[in-house]
Amino acid sequence: MANSTLKSAALLDQMKLHLSSDAGKGLVKKIGLVYQLNIAPKKIGFEEEIYVVDLKKGEVTKGPYKGKPDATFSFKDEDFIKIASGKMNPQMAFMRGAMKIKGSISAAQKFTPDIFPKPSKL
Amino acid sequence: MSMRELVTGGAACAVPGSSSSSNPLGALANSLLGSSSKTQEKLNELPGTAVTGPSTSLYSGGDNQLSTLPGFENEEQELRHPDAQASEFLRGFRGADHGGFADAWNEIQRPQLPPHGLRGGPLPYTEFDRVYENGFQSQPPPTLDGPPGMVLSNFLHSFMRSSGTGVPFGPAMLPVLGLSERDKLCIRDRSSIMARHFFADKSEEFINAQVNTLLHSLDIDSDFRAKGPIPGRYPELEEYWNESQGAIQPVIHNPANGWINEFSQQKSLHSDPEAWVNMFEQQHGAKGWASEFQQEQSQMTSMNQINSANMAAMEQARMLAHTLSQNNNPKFQNSKFHQFVSKMSRGELIVDDNQIKPAGVSSHVGWAEEYQQQHKGAPTSWVNEFAQNELSHGTNGWAKEFSAERELHGSVDDKWVQEFSKLNVNDWAEEFGHQVGEGVLGESSEWLDGYNEYLNEQQAVKQQSNSSRGVYLFSDMNPYVGHPDPLKEGQELFRKGLLSEAVLALEAEVIKNPENAEGWRLLGITHAENDDDQQAIASMMRAHEVDPTNLEVLLALGVSHTNELEQAEALKYLYGWLQHHPKYGTLAPPEQSASLFFADVAGLFNEAARLSPDDADVHIVLGVLYNLSREFDSAIKSFQSALKLKPRDYSLWNKLGATQANSVQSADALLAYQQALDLKPNYVRAWANMGISFANQGLYEDSIRYYVRALAMNPKADNAWQYLRISLSCASRNDMLEACDSRNLDVLQREFPL
Repeated sequence: MANSTLKSAALLDQMKLHLSSDAGKGLVKKIGLVYQLNIAPKKIGFEEEIYVVDLKKGEVTKGPYKGKPDATFSFKDEDFIKIASGKMNPQMAFMRGAMKIKGSISAAQKFTPDIFPKPSKL
Repeated sequence: MSMRELVTGGAACAVPGSSSSSNPLGALANSLLGSSSKTQEKLNELPGTAVTGPSTSLYSGGDNQLSTLPGFENEEQELRHPDAQASEFLRGFRGADHGGFADAWNEIQRPQLPPHGLRGGPLPYTEFDRVYENGFQSQPPPTLDGPPGMVLSNFLHSFMRSSGTGVPFGPAMLPVLGLSERDKLCIRDRSSIMARHFFADKSEEFINAQVNTLLHSLDIDSDFRAKGPIPGRYPELEEYWNESQGAIQPVIHNPANGWINEFSQQKSLHSDPEAWVNMFEQQHGAKGWASEFQQEQSQMTSMNQINSANMAAMEQARMLAHTLSQNNNPKFQNSKFHQFVSKMSRGELIVDDNQIKPAGVSSHVGWAEEYQQQHKGAPTSWVNEFAQNELSHGTNGWAKEFSAERELHGSVDDKWVQEFSKLNVNDWAEEFGHQVGEGVLGESSEWLDGYNEYLNEQQAVKQQSNSSRGVYLFSDMNPYVGHPDPLKEGQELFRKGLLSEAVLALEAEVIKNPENAEGWRLLGITHAENDDDQQAIASMMRAHEVDPTNLEVLLALGVSHTNELEQAEALKYLYGWLQHHPKYGTLAPPEQSASLFFADVAGLFNEAARLSPDDADVHIVLGVLYNLSREFDSAIKSFQSALKLKPRDYSLWNKLGATQANSVQSADALLAYQQALDLKPNYVRAWANMGISFANQGLYEDSIRYYVRALAMNPKADNAWQYLRISLSCASRNDMLEACDSRNLDVLQREFPL
């Protein structure tokens, strides 16, 4: 992921480390779902980079999920960062069309900003 | 006196008793119109026209346990029993609003049909038991008696019920409830709000009349209502009621069958259905309540309640006529208007239903008669009807019907649940996705166009916001504007650690000297320490414009863009730092800056670090670079090397801490932050970072305290507010979300002291 220029890639790299911590393991226990994120630099559906946040196994990987993820989200890089940092509420994002969801609604509802670690500032 | 004065309300023609309007004509018109609308209400209020909720849904009590969902209460009233006879009986019955019979009946009804707000099915049954025993062995307890709380809640329920039917709510005599001023205030405010919910389809006067009746009955002064309703407080009122309900009624669970059995047992004692009727007659005498009602009715009419509005109008007209007659202008004296007002004042004209009529036979007498005619013989026929009804159904019939309906409802409900669970949510979502996909390919290209348009708009907005980013936002009301030397003041404040104050002073400086790179730079640094990277970037860019080669500015821009996860930007500025460095500039070929690759830049810096391993700055930039590439271990090493050279650089300690935190070494991170804070206690960024560290470890309570601390020092740190919100909801402190959303630091600091 290091070669990606997306902001989301930076956050997901941190997420990868985060999942190895106790708090991250707690997430796996608490949520236990697989999310696929299709992140577009400018416009949903274009030049998407696909990441899988596997909260069953506690992994973050690049590329589509082999199998059926519980929920798939599509958003722009910037909007994903807004959602993950609590600037934008996921429901709001969905209603505004800033986020598209495929899969189980109940799984989608567990996709909240507290899943993601907050980057500390230098 | 001129007409103009009359209309505009000169002092000479003030009408006593018209507090709201200083305009006598207006007052007259008001009272005329008011009286006619009141007249209509009174008409509505006539008994017999009343269709009230509880009595019509005689058999619907069976679903009381199913209806314990909040918000279900009002719907219950919609249920209408098919047996028209029974409901007709009851309708008439209910008309005798405050006769003992109606109350007794309601009391017996209530257990079967729990009124509003009763959550938890068992409550009604105990009440039922009690009422039933009382009701059949001795006197049925009147509704509006008993402990004050009960009376109040019953009374309020009846108010709510009146909403379901649109029938005006009759006044009631209540025992002294001993309500405190606060309670009264509470009831007053809430009932006026509630009424507007209930009677959304009714006119304002109607609502006011309803509320006034309620308040009057409760002996609450309605004048204070002017305070104005607060919309959307409905749940609170309900809560309040539930509280009062819960307080008085012990929770004992009786299975539903229990009371059915008991009911039939009891009933078999009084196997003759007419016994009930007889008992009632014993209590009240045959036709007792009917005559009582008639008495009441005639009392009402004789009290001229209906007419009082007309009286008031007359009084006003008299006053007005008096004022007018003092005008000596003969033209005016003979005017039609004057004549009209005079006639009115003498009662020769009355205003009825917005029409002026000559006063003939006082209309309210007519009403009374009309009513009597309508209901002649009705009282006995009601009783008969009831008895028939009883006979045809048999009491057991009721119980059976009830349980049958229960079963029916039960099965229906199960079905519903099953059906709902069959609706696979996944399928739904997928289907939706399919539809959208088809739509895109198929007919609804119009729709797609619309959406694309929207997207373009969004794009435009985004570009706008991108360009507006980097534009510095000045605070308004800056006390340092006009300061003789704001830069010096700002430096002083910054040194003292009063960052938010320093920001103001430095803003004053750059307003005064927009070309002062040092002012902009220090402003940027201050914003960064204050945990506001957006503003930091904006001011640093101004500094960069003025002085493109300032190394500190370039480094700060690199750091801030790194924090904002803007990798390309960050890399550009960090490379610029190398380019413009007097010592390492030769390492960086200028033509490379167009297309930067991280690995190349990192390689160059490593080379620089080899050249002069004692230059802390090179290590710092390297540390930032490795943060950018998420090589946190290397970044930590670089910062640690730099710290050996600059151990008292608090921002360096914070950088180390942040890097450790990002690579999930939270314990070490907290130590580093602590170092930074020891050196600079007001370092907002370090406080906020500590909050982040705790939050990332799942220690939300602790994180809240640090966020609040950071925000207390800089309430403009938006990120910290957002993170605080997340932590509050994760720590199940939703009670504090409102304080967070309204940015109420006082409340938050009191609740979460550090």
